[in-house]
Amino acid sequence: MKTKTIRPSGFDSGEGPSLKAGGIRMRRVSILLVSAAIAAGVSCRRAPAPTPEVVALSAAALPGDPGDPAWQRAPEHAATLLPQDVVEPRLMKPSTKEVRVRALSNGSEIAFRLEWADGVANDLPGAGRFPDACAVQLPQKADVNAPDPQMGQQGRQVEIAYWRADWQATVNGRDDTIQALYPNATVDHYPFEARPLEPGSDAQRQMARRFAPADARGNRRGGLRESAVEDLVAEGPGTLSPAPTTTSRGRGVRTENGWAVVVTRRMPDGLAPRARTQVAFAVWEGSAHESGSRKMRTGWVGLSMREAP
Amino acid sequence: MARVYNWQIGREMSYWYPESRPKKQFAAVFDTNKCIACQTCTLACKTTWTSGKGQEYMLWNNVETKPYGSYPLAWDLKLLDMLNAGAWNGNVYAGETIFESAPAGERVLSWRPESEDFAYPNVGEDDCAGQVDGGASFSLPHMSWFFYLARICNHCTYPACLASCPRGSIYKRPEDGIVLVDQERCRGYQECVKGCPYKKVYFNPMTGTSEKCIACFPKMEMGLQPQCFVNCIGKIRMAGYISRPAQARPDNPIDYLVHVRKVALPLYPQLGLEPNVYYIPPLNVPVPFLRQMFGPGVDEALKTYRNADADLAGLLGLFGSTESVMTKWARRGDDVTGFDDAGTALVRVPMREPVYIRPWYDKVNNAFRVNCP
Repeated sequence: MKTKTIRPSGFDSGEGPSLKAGGIRMRRVSILLVSAAIAAGVSCRRAPAPTPEVVALSAAALPGDPGDPAWQRAPEHAATLLPQDVVEPRLMKPSTKEVRVRALSNGSEIAFRLEWADGVANDLPGAGRFPDACAVQLPQKADVNAPDPQMGQQGRQVEIAYWRADWQATVNGRDDTIQALYPNATVDHYPFEARPLEPGSDAQRQMARRFAPADARGNRRGGLRESAVEDLVAEGPGTLSPAPTTTSRGRGVRTENGWAVVVTRRMPDGLAPRARTQVAFAVWEGSAHESGSRKMRTGWVGLSMREAP
Repeated sequence: MARVYNWQIGREMSYWYPESRPKKQFAAVFDTNKCIACQTCTLACKTTWTSGKGQEYMLWNNVETKPYGSYPLAWDLKLLDMLNAGAWNGNVYAGETIFESAPAGERVLSWRPESEDFAYPNVGEDDCAGQVDGGASFSLPHMSWFFYLARICNHCTYPACLASCPRGSIYKRPEDGIVLVDQERCRGYQECVKGCPYKKVYFNPMTGTSEKCIACFPKMEMGLQPQCFVNCIGKIRMAGYISRPAQARPDNPIDYLVHVRKVALPLYPQLGLEPNVYYIPPLNVPVPFLRQMFGPGVDEALKTYRNADADLAGLLGLFGSTESVMTKWARRGDDVTGFDDAGTALVRVPMREPVYIRPWYDKVNNAFRVNCP
């Protein structure tokens, strides 16, 4: 039999002291949901017929801007997203239903344009805050017999290009200050801002790094950055690690009702014109607290190359 | 899930990983009766470790007033409401731990704190549990009460933060049982922030990783107690290493207080983590509240503490007496001595401090000794 929690008077519900503006948050979500519904109904883009797999169309140049009209030439594949419910912690409640994918290739690089519906832009990191994100996964070697779609398997590596909305905001110019994330935050003093350390000096940076251990270890999860994309490799769930270098590029923008993100990476080994391989996608919905293994993902989707007409 | 033995709940339980105890286990005893919530410990920690960008609202050490105080907000009450807790049959816990209550898809039963939950570290400070009516007089336990609960990471034997991390970024050091977040491997998923029932892992939004109390391991490796211990004004803390109950050594100060005299108790043992910070419960608080917080050993602990003999009182006198870690202690007559592993005396404290009373008039200098001009 469950014992009753002994609590002081005033703690009558499980919520504890109520200091949150839950009402305001709910109202904002409702307004955005209505906007998203309206936006979804007015889409009237003329484009090639949807394809049952991702077809990368040849192109002389690969547009980095998700809004570039060149993307309209590429056929669109609507990939159904499923909750990651294989390894704990799992995503128990589905969120984003599908991601619409177009692809272009210039022979040495391949660019994917991912678009999905998301009524609320989540691009602020913080406790209990989770940025929107997406990822493109390919087997290390192009092969019809692909490794396990859930992050690969031991000895059979997958390559992942990962884009995150908060990184994009930083690349777009957001300040690297706590006030940029929490406008009402107050800071009395940082020790590395004290004299005699000169502002912008190496000595000051070294002092600041003492209080930023991840940064000191080269684990750049936050702070100023030049790219919103990170290249990763994995050999199964829980094995994700950064690739030796990030060569992929990417840019994400808000659309009327969600995100459009272009991720450009080198062609996977063995993928040539008329060759086939597999590709998989994942989307993290920040509003649903999705992060890490809590994500919406596809299984392997066929990826083929086609000459532009 | 593996089956492991948790001596604090007197039974086997489920845990994400098999039992793997360190060579020795960092542990601490806090005497709540001596804490005055001056927050010197909090500042000592903050100044040493968390003065960087993104650490502004991060308190690896905090002191909260119970019953109304909590940082983050209602960290314990929220979980207690969720937990399928049960009664104790003697020293055996009959309910479920947070590992055994884990819902489908989760590794532990937990709730996810939001940014606002960390924004009020002083909530409930000095708030008394109930009104004090005119003409009231106190007797023990007080009808209106509060007490101060100093908190650091418990460096648990079965850490929920470690179990929660899907990529193994948290590890328990085999040499001393200190639990650390690998800052090179962490990807900031915040599963540990959610999973730790004591809410002692914090997300740093500027570095994008989670950070936590490191038990000042660079100091512990040198045989020195952590910053929050040595800066404690009230001398409420002692750091050391704890043995398993069957291997308890009476000359180990932590073993003596926890295992031999059973005067120091774990915080919320029913959660199942075998936490390694042990509290001497406050004398002035209703026992049912303390049983919920410190388990079934509360009654005996209070009785022993109230009737402290020379050994117990002497050992408590070693608290805050030296920066060094005392792994052994002994009382000889009116002297209590703390030793290191090699048996070298680190500090000697008299059972009673000598008192000298100076005459009010200084004959040599022909001056009156007064407190104010």
